[in-house]
Amino acid sequence: MSKGITDSGIIPGGEAPLIEKNPTFGSITEEISRITERKTPGVWYLALGAAVSLMFVLFGSIGYLVFEGVGIWGLNNPVGWGWAIINFVWWVGIGHAGTLISAILFLLRQRWRTSINRFAEAMTLFAVSCALIFPAIHVGRIWVVYWMFPVPNQMSMWPNFRSPLLWDVFAVSTYFTASLLFWYTGLIPDLATFRDRAKTKIRKIVFGFLSLGWRGGNRQWKHYELAYLILAGISTPLVLSVHSVVSTDFAISILPGWHTTIFPPYFVAGAIFSGFAMVVTLTIIARKLFHLEHIITVSHLEKMNKIMLLTGMMVGYAYSMEFFIAWYSGNIYEQFVFINRAFGQYAWAYWIMISCNVLIPQMFWFKKLRRSIPVMFIASILINVGMWFERFVIVVTSLAQDFLPSSWDYYSPTIWDISTFVGSFGLFFTLFLLFIRFLPMISMSEVKGVLPQADPHHAGGDRHE
Amino acid sequence: MEKKDKKYWLSLDHLHDTKGYRRNLRDRYHEENGETGGDFTRRSFLGIMGASLALAGLAGCRRPVEKIVPYVIMPEEVIPGVPQYYATTMSLGTSAYGIIVESHEGRPTKIEGNPKHPSTLGSANIFLEAAILGLYDPDRSKKVKHNGAESAYNDFISFWREQELKFAANKGEGLAVISESFSSPTLMRLRNDFLKKYSNASWVCYEPISDENNHKAVGQLTGRPLQPVYHYDKADVVLSLDADFLLTENENIRAARGFAEKRKPDDNKTDMNRLYTAESAFSVTGSMADHRLRISSADIGRLAFAIADAVRKRGLNIPGVFETDISDFNKEWIEALADDLNGAKGRSLIIAGSRQPIRVHQIAMILNEVLGNIGQTVTYHNANDAIAPDMEALKSTIAKMKSGAISTLIILGGNPVYNAPADLDFASALSKCENSVHYSDYLDETSKLTGWHIPRAHFLESWSDARALDGTLSVIQPMIEPLYGSPSDTELYALLASGRNQRGYDIVRETWQNVLKGGEFEKKWRKVLHDGLLADSALPNEIIKLNVAAIESPKSEKELSNDNLELNFYSSKLYDGRFANNGWLQELPDPINKLTWGNAALLSPKTATELAVANGEIVNIEAGSAKLEIPVWISPGQADYTVAVALGYGRGGIGAVADGVGANAYLLSNSNNPSFYRGVRLTKTGAVMNMAGTQDHGSMHGRPIVREATLNEYRSNPEFAEEMVEHPPLKSIYPEHDYSQGYQWGMVIDLNACIGCGACTIACQSENNIPIVGKLQVSKGREMHWIRNDRYYVGDENDPKIVHMPVACQQCENAPCESVCPVAATVHDKEGLNNMTYTRCIGTRYCSNNCPYKVRRFNFFNYTGKYAETIRMAQNPDVTVRSRGVMEKCTFCTQRLNRAKIKARQEGRTVRDGEIQTACEQACPTRAIRFGNINDPDSIVTAMKKIDRNYALLGEFNVRPRNSYLAKIRNPNPKLGKTEDKETG
Repeated sequence: MSKGITDSGIIPGGEAPLIEKNPTFGSITEEISRITERKTPGVWYLALGAAVSLMFVLFGSIGYLVFEGVGIWGLNNPVGWGWAIINFVWWVGIGHAGTLISAILFLLRQRWRTSINRFAEAMTLFAVSCALIFPAIHVGRIWVVYWMFPVPNQMSMWPNFRSPLLWDVFAVSTYFTASLLFWYTGLIPDLATFRDRAKTKIRKIVFGFLSLGWRGGNRQWKHYELAYLILAGISTPLVLSVHSVVSTDFAISILPGWHTTIFPPYFVAGAIFSGFAMVVTLTIIARKLFHLEHIITVSHLEKMNKIMLLTGMMVGYAYSMEFFIAWYSGNIYEQFVFINRAFGQYAWAYWIMISCNVLIPQMFWFKKLRRSIPVMFIASILINVGMWFERFVIVVTSLAQDFLPSSWDYYSPTIWDISTFVGSFGLFFTLFLLFIRFLPMISMSEVKGVLPQADPHHAGGDRHE
Repeated sequence: MEKKDKKYWLSLDHLHDTKGYRRNLRDRYHEENGETGGDFTRRSFLGIMGASLALAGLAGCRRPVEKIVPYVIMPEEVIPGVPQYYATTMSLGTSAYGIIVESHEGRPTKIEGNPKHPSTLGSANIFLEAAILGLYDPDRSKKVKHNGAESAYNDFISFWREQELKFAANKGEGLAVISESFSSPTLMRLRNDFLKKYSNASWVCYEPISDENNHKAVGQLTGRPLQPVYHYDKADVVLSLDADFLLTENENIRAARGFAEKRKPDDNKTDMNRLYTAESAFSVTGSMADHRLRISSADIGRLAFAIADAVRKRGLNIPGVFETDISDFNKEWIEALADDLNGAKGRSLIIAGSRQPIRVHQIAMILNEVLGNIGQTVTYHNANDAIAPDMEALKSTIAKMKSGAISTLIILGGNPVYNAPADLDFASALSKCENSVHYSDYLDETSKLTGWHIPRAHFLESWSDARALDGTLSVIQPMIEPLYGSPSDTELYALLASGRNQRGYDIVRETWQNVLKGGEFEKKWRKVLHDGLLADSALPNEIIKLNVAAIESPKSEKELSNDNLELNFYSSKLYDGRFANNGWLQELPDPINKLTWGNAALLSPKTATELAVANGEIVNIEAGSAKLEIPVWISPGQADYTVAVALGYGRGGIGAVADGVGANAYLLSNSNNPSFYRGVRLTKTGAVMNMAGTQDHGSMHGRPIVREATLNEYRSNPEFAEEMVEHPPLKSIYPEHDYSQGYQWGMVIDLNACIGCGACTIACQSENNIPIVGKLQVSKGREMHWIRNDRYYVGDENDPKIVHMPVACQQCENAPCESVCPVAATVHDKEGLNNMTYTRCIGTRYCSNNCPYKVRRFNFFNYTGKYAETIRMAQNPDVTVRSRGVMEKCTFCTQRLNRAKIKARQEGRTVRDGEIQTACEQACPTRAIRFGNINDPDSIVTAMKKIDRNYALLGEFNVRPRNSYLAKIRNPNPKLGKTEDKETG
């Protein structure tokens, strides 16, 4: 990272350095590149095998779905959306951390992001890939799902631009495209490093192609950093827009419990909340497995936990505000829905949500717990469980019991709902395992930029050899 | 039917019977997989639906699916795509319902009421509407069977000729016929011919559900076989003693129409009838009552006596002895009722249900007599041509069968092995008969035990005639050539009577030569066929004189308790079981308990709590040695310690729809007390069954859904319905669309008239090709009905009131469904309709989620893809048959709108009010549903929307529904203050 972007390499206030064990530029390159260059460990094959098997569960479930129809799921007449939409919102939410870390924290000059941004961005892409499957397969006639896109046709039929589902199509696909570009742009210098270290012909060709002729010259760095800055600028509103648009899927409707203006900020907060939780879960595993504890330090994790504490409270605020407004509105339908969420047929789901999303993060007020790896690992998983249930509560309780009690019903998933969801983890982990095997999971160039020696005026003097 | 005279051909290939043509035909009718059977494919499916000689030249052709075979010579008057309408009649027991059948190119697709016929008045009930599916039922019997092996009708004719020789000698000694009841000049003539020829033979009639007790009561009191006809349109005070006259008693369409007409509060807000009911199980009639007394069926006899006694105390001379113990009854109720009856002499009506014993019918008749109602609200007519069932005669016939005295038994219709009282053990008696014949629609329980089985032609395939209860005569004319070549009732009766294999057409005309006297037979005959009835053939009122002897006072029976329950049988939407293989009826939610696909032991909440049973728990009903396993369903409003079980379920081996659905309550039936008896216990089995109900929540949760007031409240605050909801001004931020021009379609549903019968649902299903989905799918909440009937309980859990609310698409002007569809598959048109484009729909289901009324229905699977070939023929060609993954909903019968608009444009005029009737509106027996152009200031629908009871359901959300509702008004007796229940939710 050049001076233009980063400030001084000194951590003010005498805080611990971002990267521990005083690594050199060379050792960073060596440590991170080696992960992809060494012989493939057996455990990776084992993990990939498991993930691919799970992915085939997803594909099998989708195949059966296409063959039989969405009736294989537990949907019914009042509850037209079930796990598919819950999973979609959940995966999109998880996909928020990456761009937030890359773009917003970049613009806010939060340099601690460098250790985790690559990882988080990759996770974003894979989560959004998983998310995109669900709206595509949940429709009744999958073979004409392309009608959602504004494809010119002989009927002069355009999609309905008033529909939030259409906004979704644009919002999520834009987000995916921008995230992909951002991620790839960030990868270029590291890909060039891989190319330079490549020993096999295939690696030389592949990384040579992918690194787009990167030479690391000053002009290239200048253009690169400018492009990165612009992409960060473009991505920043997307972080806020994509989940705001997803929330309009609900907020635009007239259903009590959906029809509320609080949804966009509440959904964005929830998305960041779940996204960081997922990053923490995956980071804890990866830094342990690949011995990267000094690059992704406990301080990094602690900072993420603080963000979870913050967004968790925002989500909790939204929960209570929904109740307040339901009471304040005087609308009997709205009031019923919220009382019913807490005490009705799905109360169990509601209290799982409250426990995981509001109570669990409160642990992070305590520094000891905030820095405890086992605590945060379990907490991060529970937060994502809670966030899944948040979407379940929103989608199902409002639909199952709306205006006319005559149409009320109970929704419960079938084996196919479950297999499709579980299978989506297969896709996610397959992509992730391929990523950590073949690409630098930590941004070498950016981590180097936050090392003390990257600053010519760093306090410890020049320790370059 | 001129099939033997002319050969109708579709194309030159057909005429020359080329191989290619035959292959095509075979493919079309799936001969190989046996869906329809070979006989059917050889028949030219060209139906001559023609109704008469005038139409005999018409030929029709079912539009082929795979290959279009055009008319080579266009038959006159047939325009492909333009349906034709023919009048005919459907008989059910001794009732006859005049109907109009819509026929597309010779293929009947829809049944509607005949406006000229006194028993239908242009409306229909579920049985009439569903009969079209019965015609095309692929499980109908197709082949004559002899001792289980396939045979032919000609073999049966040979068999009968041998029998004839035998019985000619001994005048029919050892010959017996068990028939269904009927009211038909032709069938009566043939029966009389038969009995003349075989004077020693017996002819008995059996129906599990009948007016036998009413007929017997009338016979005992008057000495004549008279048929009562009730005039609800003249009755200000109606007392129903266990009579569900709005739904399950006969003549229910006419009763419901008359009742609703007398129940309109609008003109001066005073002129509204009052209904008292006393019943054990909640019936549709009970749900309409102003005062419903929850009482066990056996106590209704004593109640009738107590009422008679109270009326007598008001100075009326009532013959007979009425000392009865009424200490356990609600005296206040009886006194208030007696005052009301006494104050409405000649304008009141007391009816006893067909389930009640003769005694109760007698009391009702005597009360009607002393209150001056006979000749006013109830008239008596000669029951010419009608044969009523007779349980005693059946018993003696069965005794003769058991003794071996009957060598040849002929069962014409009916299904006694299944539905004769269990204690008579019909099956074993049947096995003693040397020869037995069963003529029936299905290869059913009885057919499997008889030597011969003759498949029966559907009434839409037959020539016959019928006499309605008031005596109106009509001819039953076929709409289609018999699909399986089965003989019709008249043809088989004629064979038995004369030994000749005549054509139905000739047989019926022979009868009518005596009816249409005075020359010009052909002209009159054509007129009868055209109108569907013989004008002015209703029989005159008979002046009757009651001959009352002392009536035996009913004794108090042993008090009911958990160990001494009262078991009640009631007729269901399957009637007595004959419609069990009709999927529309199986999937129609019961009007009260909302169950589909099966029956249950209905218990009151209190009884269920005491017995510690819950919904779906399977119990054993133990009545003496008989036992029946059946799931429990808790039915608020059921009398305590009574169990009610619907008849007609628990079939085996008759068809894919009927088999294995529900429990056969006939196994508990008893010939001495066919409708109810006491001394029954319930024991738990521990098993639980998944029940397919369509409405899980019966409370309105305090929401202003069905808005209801008493007549007094309405009078003091006519705008109460609108005022029940406070809301901000209904303004949109978008500019309003201009709906002031052209046709603007709208609908009003009068909740005061709706009885919740479900005729609209079945009519809609028939008109709009709505598939059935089966028990599993219904239990998952995926039923497809476009118009559903919501039922809410109001008030006390054990003794609630019921309100009904039909809900179809409300055609919102600001439709929430439209804006959320990503592909614009549901859009508004300039006539205010919310249109659904099936071909554009991709199935996101967002529209359904966003519909506040939840009236949209999604095809979760390909429900229509596996239809049998015959079921495909039942589809309305004007309506798209939807496939998998598509949302569907009510369209206000847009095909009917378009047809009427095209016709109006051709004739250079606008569509007249009433010219378009939606299917639901047309079927509604009470005319609760009215549809029309709300832009037309003179239309009925506009007038109804101006009534002060008018309100929009969920109108406070500014969705601007084009449907609106007229609030429900009840007219409780001010003397019974506690029932003035204002609660609506």
